[in-house]
Amino acid sequence: MSLPSFQLLRPKTLDEAMALMAKYDGQVKVVAGGTDLLPSMKQKLFTPPYVLDLRGISELRGIRSGAGGGVEIGVLTSLSTIEHALPIRKDYPVLYEAVKTVASPVLRNMGTIGGNLCLDTRCLWYNQSLLWRKSCGFCLKKDGDLCHVAPGGKFCWAAFSGDTPPALMCLGAEIEIAGPTGTRRTPLSEFYVNDGIARLHLAENEIVTRVYLPESSAGWRGSYQKLRVRGSIDYPLAGVAVALKMRAGRVEAVRVAITAVNPAPFLVKDADAHLVGVVPTEEIAGWVGDLAASTAKPLTTSALTPEYRREMVRVFAKRAVMSAAAN
Amino acid sequence: MTDFSVIGKSIAMVDAAGKTTGAGKYTDDLSLPGMLVGKILHSVYPHARIKRIDTSRAKALDGVVAVVTGADAPNPYGILPVGHDETALAVEKVRYVGDHVACVAAISEEIAENAIELIDVEYELLPAYFDPVESMKAETDLIHENRAHNIEKDYHHVFGDLDKGFAEADYIAEGRYLANEVTHAAMEPHSTLANFELDPHTGKLGRLTVWSSTQVPYYLQHKLSLVLEMPMSQIRVIKPLVGGGFGGKSEIIPLEIIAAVAARAARAPVKITYTREEVFWAHRGRPRTIIDLKTGVKNDGRMTAVACKVIQDGGAYCSYGVVTILYSGALLGALYDIPNIRYDGYRVLTNKPACGAMRGHGTVNVRFAFESQMDEIAAKLKLDPAEMRRVNLLKPPTVTVNGLRVLSYGLPECIDQVVTRSGWKERKGKLPKGRGLGVACSHYVSGAANSIIRSDMPHSTVNIKIDRDGSVVIYTGASEIGQGSDTMTAQVVAEVLGCEIARVNVIAADTDLTPIDLGSYSSRVTFMAGNAALRAAADVKKNIVSAAAKRMNCAPEDVIMRNDRVWNGGTTLSDYDFTASDSLGEKEAARGHVDGQILRGSVLQTRKEDGPKDHMSFEEAVVAAIDFHGALTGTGSYAPPAAARGGKHKGGGVGPSPAYSYSAQVAEVSVDEDTGEVTVHKVWAAHDCGRALNPVAVEGQVIGSVWMGLGQALEEEIVWKDGLLMNPGLLEYRSPSSTESPEIECIIVESIDPEGPFGAKEAGEGSLAATIPAISNAIYDAVGVRLRESPFTPERVLAALRAKKGMKRIEMTESVDPTAPEKFREHGGSLWFRGKGPMRHPLDPARQGTNAGSPAGGGD
Repeated sequence: MSLPSFQLLRPKTLDEAMALMAKYDGQVKVVAGGTDLLPSMKQKLFTPPYVLDLRGISELRGIRSGAGGGVEIGVLTSLSTIEHALPIRKDYPVLYEAVKTVASPVLRNMGTIGGNLCLDTRCLWYNQSLLWRKSCGFCLKKDGDLCHVAPGGKFCWAAFSGDTPPALMCLGAEIEIAGPTGTRRTPLSEFYVNDGIARLHLAENEIVTRVYLPESSAGWRGSYQKLRVRGSIDYPLAGVAVALKMRAGRVEAVRVAITAVNPAPFLVKDADAHLVGVVPTEEIAGWVGDLAASTAKPLTTSALTPEYRREMVRVFAKRAVMSAAAN
Repeated sequence: MTDFSVIGKSIAMVDAAGKTTGAGKYTDDLSLPGMLVGKILHSVYPHARIKRIDTSRAKALDGVVAVVTGADAPNPYGILPVGHDETALAVEKVRYVGDHVACVAAISEEIAENAIELIDVEYELLPAYFDPVESMKAETDLIHENRAHNIEKDYHHVFGDLDKGFAEADYIAEGRYLANEVTHAAMEPHSTLANFELDPHTGKLGRLTVWSSTQVPYYLQHKLSLVLEMPMSQIRVIKPLVGGGFGGKSEIIPLEIIAAVAARAARAPVKITYTREEVFWAHRGRPRTIIDLKTGVKNDGRMTAVACKVIQDGGAYCSYGVVTILYSGALLGALYDIPNIRYDGYRVLTNKPACGAMRGHGTVNVRFAFESQMDEIAAKLKLDPAEMRRVNLLKPPTVTVNGLRVLSYGLPECIDQVVTRSGWKERKGKLPKGRGLGVACSHYVSGAANSIIRSDMPHSTVNIKIDRDGSVVIYTGASEIGQGSDTMTAQVVAEVLGCEIARVNVIAADTDLTPIDLGSYSSRVTFMAGNAALRAAADVKKNIVSAAAKRMNCAPEDVIMRNDRVWNGGTTLSDYDFTASDSLGEKEAARGHVDGQILRGSVLQTRKEDGPKDHMSFEEAVVAAIDFHGALTGTGSYAPPAAARGGKHKGGGVGPSPAYSYSAQVAEVSVDEDTGEVTVHKVWAAHDCGRALNPVAVEGQVIGSVWMGLGQALEEEIVWKDGLLMNPGLLEYRSPSSTESPEIECIIVESIDPEGPFGAKEAGEGSLAATIPAISNAIYDAVGVRLRESPFTPERVLAALRAKKGMKRIEMTESVDPTAPEKFREHGGSLWFRGKGPMRHPLDPARQGTNAGSPAGGGD
């Protein structure tokens, strides 16, 4: 399978990138590591006239201390750089746990944090070659009017399949987005749209530029539990992140987030109601598991049955709470 | 034990440097001036009649040189003489999603891809069959008109007296087992480059040369001849490096013929390399199999009778199917002593990619059922599963009830080894909760005693040429596919000739240069090509020995060739004298005799003829032999002995082998009872390969087999939805990664076969089949659930665990109980024809017939 023809744009600065985005308004796909986009382009899921390669913009690469405390990560920072950054491992262990599960070491060398945040949603009926999709019938998400997952439906259930966003959402991370009229900053938890097609609150002429980890969640304990068939390479089939702050053996603050079981990653509402102020026990952790499972709406978008994946959200949320509390 | 200098030593593969540095050339690395890229249009329907193909729009595209369709090569072919049911490109019908319809040869891949979108095909849709049991009920719209009820072939064998056997049994176990479909997933996708030369006399297209990633160059030459209507002598097939086959390249894959057809039409070289998705469609993997198994035993575990019914979901073409279904039955024998056997095998056609031969061909899924049921019986009768296997051992030399001759039989030692090393007796049943041990055995042929094409020709022939430079060139048709064929051949010849392996150069698998060899399949190469190499080396050695004997003035029987030296064994000289630091080689090098020996050799010999010698270098002996005899060549061939060729019953030709390998394995696993996830911690794998010619290569093969079995046991599964392959790629078809690969302790058992080369048997396939039941049995030991459907994915294990514990039922396995499966499951979701909606994409096949403006079929 060959890549479709396109013109490659290689800006050296963010301003240059924004100018190109404006010039070729709506005809540009942004590429960073390329591990997600390029296979999809070969499958003709995207055939953009222009591909804008961010990698020349060095200001978007690297991990720094944030101005008001916390940590700032440029979107071009590779996942393996984050994995091996000691401050991340020490202060934001849930991110470390999540990032080291992404794909495989080779893919983490190429893949970036920005790419992982903006990952396209995935579905067995969508991530296929042009010929396969012709054989099956084109779906809502690409070229068609059908949903094979929920026949007759008009809603796209393709699952968001990034590992790092639930961890970042647990840490209260924010992202910076550059657009034609300047930059804006938004909590990551408000970045996603629970719709396999719309996916993100990101306009076509905008680029995510930085991730901010707040000082307030530095030192929170964490755990990320990932369901996959293989010990490496695989996208998550379900994922649960838990980050919590402990004081004197009791939970002072907590966030729980799930991924790969809905079109968007979600913070699990009311998890704190069970946990704050208590010493986590198996029983309490089990309640959190039930909450997480009820937030999950997996469908037949991937390997392993939806019922099993949802059950694993329950098991993994419980385990993640116990594991985070024990860390 | 015999003392060898090359055999039995762990040496690096002779082609290792090229493969590990990237310098080695595989088919897709090759190119020729003016070469075109071929791209294939595949069917989007599982079963349809082709009413019309219009290639005019594609031909008109700038950069397109030729477009070919079924009409350009309509002759049918197939790997088996009884199964000539394929054409390179569909002629009247397409029979699976992915079937080959047309091919474009263009100046670039992108143009070729764009051009196939411009081929208009009008189809008439036919009812399609996806489940083998349903397919067997078909009366109309058959997949192949000459195959009633879509049954490719059925066999019904009875050996011994079944009624008597079951009447004698104290206990009878019965059960259905399902093995889901797996594929080879070789690293290298199939690739073929075809080129015609111009005939010097007529200027028309003349000889054809094909470079292809194949395990069977000679069969390819034969089928090309059939389809292209050219004499075989006009076709040269060359096998470059092959990046793994595992059976997926052991027959003719459509692209191999399509490339030649396209090259003929384009009058230019054409290369086609399958995409990974196309590799999955080309498939030829291990079929989904239903096994209904019934075993009768005495209270001490001795088997009295076995009845086995097998249904294989073969896909749309015969491929190796007739052989697969026969192997499944025949290799019920030759592992244990079973006095009475009934076998009913059905190879069924369905509208899916064709299944074929895959590592452990035909034996693996039945072995899963068989070894699982033995474990169930042992549990029922409170027998040690390892002990139960011991009481059922064969007593070789013997011929089994179904006509298989067994001479060497290392199974008892294999069982002893894994039982001892795994601490079986002390640990089985006593491990912590959730952890367990399981044992299973398996075996495999060392090549088929009867070739696919009935003939009396040798199965392998090897030629050797030795020249004045002392170089030994081996010409063999055997196909190196990564298993070590070339290295094995070099070792055997170096051992016989007593020369350094560095002298040996192997020229292999080029039909113009090398003598015929049937190819690399059914684990035949070491046994058959090895024996041919042994004979060829002995043949050429005769002349060297007789010349050396004259030079050294001794009897030929006294001449010893070893470690690159030739000496008179009647003297006191020994091998040791030549390996000392002041060896002859260094002295000669210092005198400058080695340099220039090629040309001055005979002069030198003459000048040095001042008295009988008592030792010579290998080169001196070679030069002497050439001086005496002229060209120094030898040839040797191998055909299996008549006594090994099996019974006379219908289908009795498949299963017999000159020798069988044996394997016993113990797996240690743990099961996460909340998630159903199975972790394999260690596998002890003992394999009887006769003599290990190259122990490190044997270990590699055994470890690779266990690893491939692990994939089928836990992760690998081709998922279907109404004939559509849901996971045609290495991301969604999950072969194990290194992280979940367990420690594998390989134990080589050397039974020294009386007919194998230096006593060797096969090592590449036999271990695979034991791994799956060893893991299944270990899961049972760990958590008490019996999985009768493979692979043992976490959802299946958890469903079984929850049912056993009486927990609330969650429908996790699409209505198939993995402990008592009845039928195959299908992926959830729905295909287009179940959907609805008036506004479809112009390319959506569901628009067919509804949009008068565009060609019917909508640009398929």
